[in-house]
Amino acid sequence: MKHYHVIGEDAPNIDGFAKVTGQAIYTFDMTLPGMLHGKILRSPHSHARIISIDTSKAESLPGVKAVITAMETGERRQGAWRRYPELCDEPVLCLEKVRYIGDPVAAVAAIDEDIALEALDLIEVEYEPLPAVFDPMEAIKEGAPQLHDDVENNINLTRHIEWGDVDKGFEEADFIREDEFILPAQSHVPLETHGSLASFDGGNNRLTLWTSTQTPYYVQCLLATAMNLRENGVKVIKPHCGSGFGGKNELFADQFCAGYLARKTGRPVKIVYSREEEFTCARRRTPIHYYLKIGAKRDGTFVAKEARAFSDGGAYTSMGATLLYLTGWFSAFPYRYPNYRYDGYKVFTNKSPSSSMRGYGGIQANFCGESQIEMLAADMGIDPVEIRKKNAMYPNYEVPGQATIASCGLPEGLEKIGEYIKERGNLPKDHGIGLACYGFNSGGIFNWFNTPYAFSGAEVRINIDGMVDVYSLAADVGQGADTTMCMIAAEELGVHLSDIRMHSGDTSICPSDLGAWASRETLMMGNAVKMAAADAKRQLFEIAASKMGANIVYDLEAGDRRIYLRDRPERGLSYYDVVRDAIRAKEGSLIVGRGHYTPHGKGMISPAFSFGVQAVEVEVDRETGYVKILNVFTAHDSGQVINPVAIRGQVEGSIMMSAGYGYSEEMLYDGGKVLNPNLVDYSLIGYRDMPSAVTVDCPTYEPEGPFGAKEVGEGITCPTAGALANAIYHAVGVRITDPPLTPEKILMALKEKSA
Amino acid sequence: MKRELKITVNGDLYDLYVEPGTLLVEVLRDKLGLTGTKRGCDSMSCGACTVILDGKAVKSCTILALQANGKEVTTVEGLANGSKLHPIQQSFIDHWAFQCGFCTSGQIMAAKALLDENPNPTRKEIKYAMNGHLCRCTGYNMIIEAILDAANRIQEEAK
Amino acid sequence: MASDFEYFNPGTLDEALNLLSRYGKESKVLAGGQSLLLLMRRKLVAPQYLIDIKGISSLDYIKVNESGDLSIGALTPHRSVELSRKIQQKFSILSEMEQDLAAVENRNWGSIGGNLCHADPAGDPSPVLVALNARLKIASVRGERNVEVEYFARDRFKVDLAHDEILTEIQVPCPALRTGSRYRKFSRMEGGFAIASVAMSITLNAESDICDDVRIVLGAVSVSSRRAREAEKVLIGKEITDELLSEAGDIASEEVDPIDDMRASAAYRRELIRVLVRRVGKEALLRAGNDSWKGISFKDTGRAALLGRR
Repeated sequence: MKHYHVIGEDAPNIDGFAKVTGQAIYTFDMTLPGMLHGKILRSPHSHARIISIDTSKAESLPGVKAVITAMETGERRQGAWRRYPELCDEPVLCLEKVRYIGDPVAAVAAIDEDIALEALDLIEVEYEPLPAVFDPMEAIKEGAPQLHDDVENNINLTRHIEWGDVDKGFEEADFIREDEFILPAQSHVPLETHGSLASFDGGNNRLTLWTSTQTPYYVQCLLATAMNLRENGVKVIKPHCGSGFGGKNELFADQFCAGYLARKTGRPVKIVYSREEEFTCARRRTPIHYYLKIGAKRDGTFVAKEARAFSDGGAYTSMGATLLYLTGWFSAFPYRYPNYRYDGYKVFTNKSPSSSMRGYGGIQANFCGESQIEMLAADMGIDPVEIRKKNAMYPNYEVPGQATIASCGLPEGLEKIGEYIKERGNLPKDHGIGLACYGFNSGGIFNWFNTPYAFSGAEVRINIDGMVDVYSLAADVGQGADTTMCMIAAEELGVHLSDIRMHSGDTSICPSDLGAWASRETLMMGNAVKMAAADAKRQLFEIAASKMGANIVYDLEAGDRRIYLRDRPERGLSYYDVVRDAIRAKEGSLIVGRGHYTPHGKGMISPAFSFGVQAVEVEVDRETGYVKILNVFTAHDSGQVINPVAIRGQVEGSIMMSAGYGYSEEMLYDGGKVLNPNLVDYSLIGYRDMPSAVTVDCPTYEPEGPFGAKEVGEGITCPTAGALANAIYHAVGVRITDPPLTPEKILMALKEKSA
Repeated sequence: MKRELKITVNGDLYDLYVEPGTLLVEVLRDKLGLTGTKRGCDSMSCGACTVILDGKAVKSCTILALQANGKEVTTVEGLANGSKLHPIQQSFIDHWAFQCGFCTSGQIMAAKALLDENPNPTRKEIKYAMNGHLCRCTGYNMIIEAILDAANRIQEEAK
Repeated sequence: MASDFEYFNPGTLDEALNLLSRYGKESKVLAGGQSLLLLMRRKLVAPQYLIDIKGISSLDYIKVNESGDLSIGALTPHRSVELSRKIQQKFSILSEMEQDLAAVENRNWGSIGGNLCHADPAGDPSPVLVALNARLKIASVRGERNVEVEYFARDRFKVDLAHDEILTEIQVPCPALRTGSRYRKFSRMEGGFAIASVAMSITLNAESDICDDVRIVLGAVSVSSRRAREAEKVLIGKEITDELLSEAGDIASEEVDPIDDMRASAAYRRELIRVLVRRVGKEALLRAGNDSWKGISFKDTGRAALLGRR
């Protein structure tokens, strides 16, 4: 294996000092001179026609500087689906109808927050309440209330995926299982809520927006459209971001309301969501009614699988459209199904839009699929590890007609899990270990945003003192993307991490990038940064080669601030000397390297796939249903590891979020009203609930990734919930198909079982 | 009607006038510009607003500023000595004990109060003492390890 | 935070009582404020006058008199109760309860009296103090009176306190010899709000293993802490066995009329009560110091068997 100087070793977060001293500035912390505070008026109805809006009282309240309604924003609808304008169906501000409790209707800018809130109370909106529908299975029925006039039976979208001959496959099966699952709504709960600060330059008709986002480029484009500005009339800056988890991928009301209000008032306007707004008016993980059928031969070989998903899509398309495809795709993961069929239906309901969230579509598919495989294994009397080994994807496996899996560490992961389970030996009473395997995309290929730019672009500039400036729009929302990019640049250029200075999060100085979603940054932006660094390095090598006068057959290499002959490393030059000479040779111009990456020749799904398997051990109290999650053992393959400590952070954070999905987190509803829109009644896994975690690497080399790297942040979110359900089953013999698996559900299932 | 508030923050005495309804966190962030202290929930659930008040960790989102009259507050901005980080801060960096960093100030202040009171805590004691803090990124274990390591560092420094 | 109130921070109880007698109904007493400020922020409460009594240092104390009776000033922080040696020695149930009450930060700032006056049905101190047969001292300019903790909470968030009154002291009588008490709560997340809780105090006869007195208190299942009097009758006058504790659990789960909310259904709360009464009873009994006590295997009462907690 190649020896690396920077990657593969723990590197501290480049923002560490700022974050531990409180100096890191988040959108939430920002103020500008003369700044106004904005608040958004939201629908109190699940479904209603707007008869009239009277803002006159609010406008005359002293301290109020502007009120906006759909009168300003017009009939324009917004959405991220630029390739399919009909899917951009979300009103900027509601004009005719509101479709969920929380739909934005108006916004106010005032000299302080209290006045802005008071003004909201003074806006008079007359509604005509309409019948509403909350469950996708109800919404598709004839005669159900219709959310959008042009959408029959509330079926927003359908997706079909098929390969092989599924019916024939089932005919050949010795064992068949059919099961249904109902999956809940999870909230992203970023510690920093959505928030924006907008400043408008009326002279040049340009807007600057500081915002808490994972996708600065999307916000730039979508906000420009929403406000009728040219694309580069909007400059988006992402300061430090208090996390996103998929919930900050789109254009949100704080962004366009702040923009509109700043333009209207001529003063900076800041809008921050309250925690309650974050729960009720932002996005949520998609609830799905899942139907699964699986068939296997007597020896455990899977021969066919069929999946049907009805997603509770909420009131608008949002990013939930991608979910509909992905959950179907991941339902066939990470196993070899020769025959597979999926039909997905995204259904409108009078609830907040369900959208992208870490482990997007995968966690739902994984919970159901991994539960069902264990049920099948139990039916057939096959060991849970063996049935997975028999069917797991392996390197260079082709998913029929869909994609080729290049690197795949799953077989090795299953070996390690098998050893781990053996080591644990006989478990104490009421303990159980459950498994789940997963695989995930390293970024998506389908260009639904219709970007004309490369998916990721990067620039590297080398200064006279050797300091390297890296420009990348990869959105660091806590996962450490900026640090990763610095490491990749440093490795490629053969310098130290301290020689790199990162410039990120500003759409006006960084080449375009699609943002931090689909676990794409390490692979896609990593490739772009590596290419930019290689471009700059080549310029240094030209000078170095000429100065060294080495034989033409020698290759040059850069490492540890030296440029040297690969096969005679003692012959080399100081990086700093080469930089000075190179700049002189370029008539004093900076050394600039450019890089870009768009997947090519990799199909339409993803350029690479991560894999892994996880074992969760629990202890269940049979009398209360209480589950203590004891330990989580993970064997994962994310290709060549760039920053091991950051990967551990991703794994453990994912465990916390996925265990929450499996055990405690759920948005509770009364009709369309969220009953627990706060952190008192919405239960996150806490310090005392968090299990210990052991993670082992199954490294592979991914040919498409930078230095062989691929994703880690999302795939690892998929398995914990399903593995937890399996562990509970092995501990006490009850099978629950509608997470979260609360103590109450477990106890009631135990009582039913013993009755 | 505004009332006088005399408050010492990170060693500096401030003489302010505030409305009685003003919260301590609002004075720190909005009046003194100490935005290291965050607000994440406004329901005392997340701990992002934790500061040390007269030696004890408290959640500044549910304390009236006037209740801190005459008292001493330490915020995350008051921990480092110039550019030299407090051992807890350094340990948080070394153990990747934060990701997005939004809850970090509160976590660090709670850890500081814990180690002041119990210089050598067990893992379990840390879990109990920190349970009022939510982190959506790290899964907590790496924070626990940072605190354990910080305890060692502080004891080493004292030798 | 939006606010439009006049603020007083009296330094003495007399000052506070005078203010209350003057402003009465239009005022609210703020102890720590961790509950009240949340309600005010959501505009559920909007007092004209806020009387902040946190500064009355004379109400922050923990005393044990010569007879062994405990008195706690109403403004004593939870954390002081938790860490008090006196309490850990003689009233360990109180400090154990405090260890698991909210977060350290909340316990540092909030007081045990403030918690009682807030009367959250899921509150932890109330069931424990009822089990300990505690009384409360209440003061106003009109004089002082006492009320048993058991009758203090009238309803969810409502207590027996007139507009001019302040809770000043919590009085816990010295437990009789051979008394053992224990409190356990069940919450979905560790250290979280109780879905159901049980506090029990058992006193055994000095001569025999007969149960002379028992108080079984159910928390978080009704609008306020309730004694399970029918279940108590099962144990009184008898030598307690596993079977009797199970029976007491069954009866307690039947006599309670549990609330049904998003945290748990009534049916589930009944189940929890059934289990908690038996488990807590076992522990309280052990503590009552009956070494020769028959019929129960001691090793079953280890932590894991109790609530699956560690």
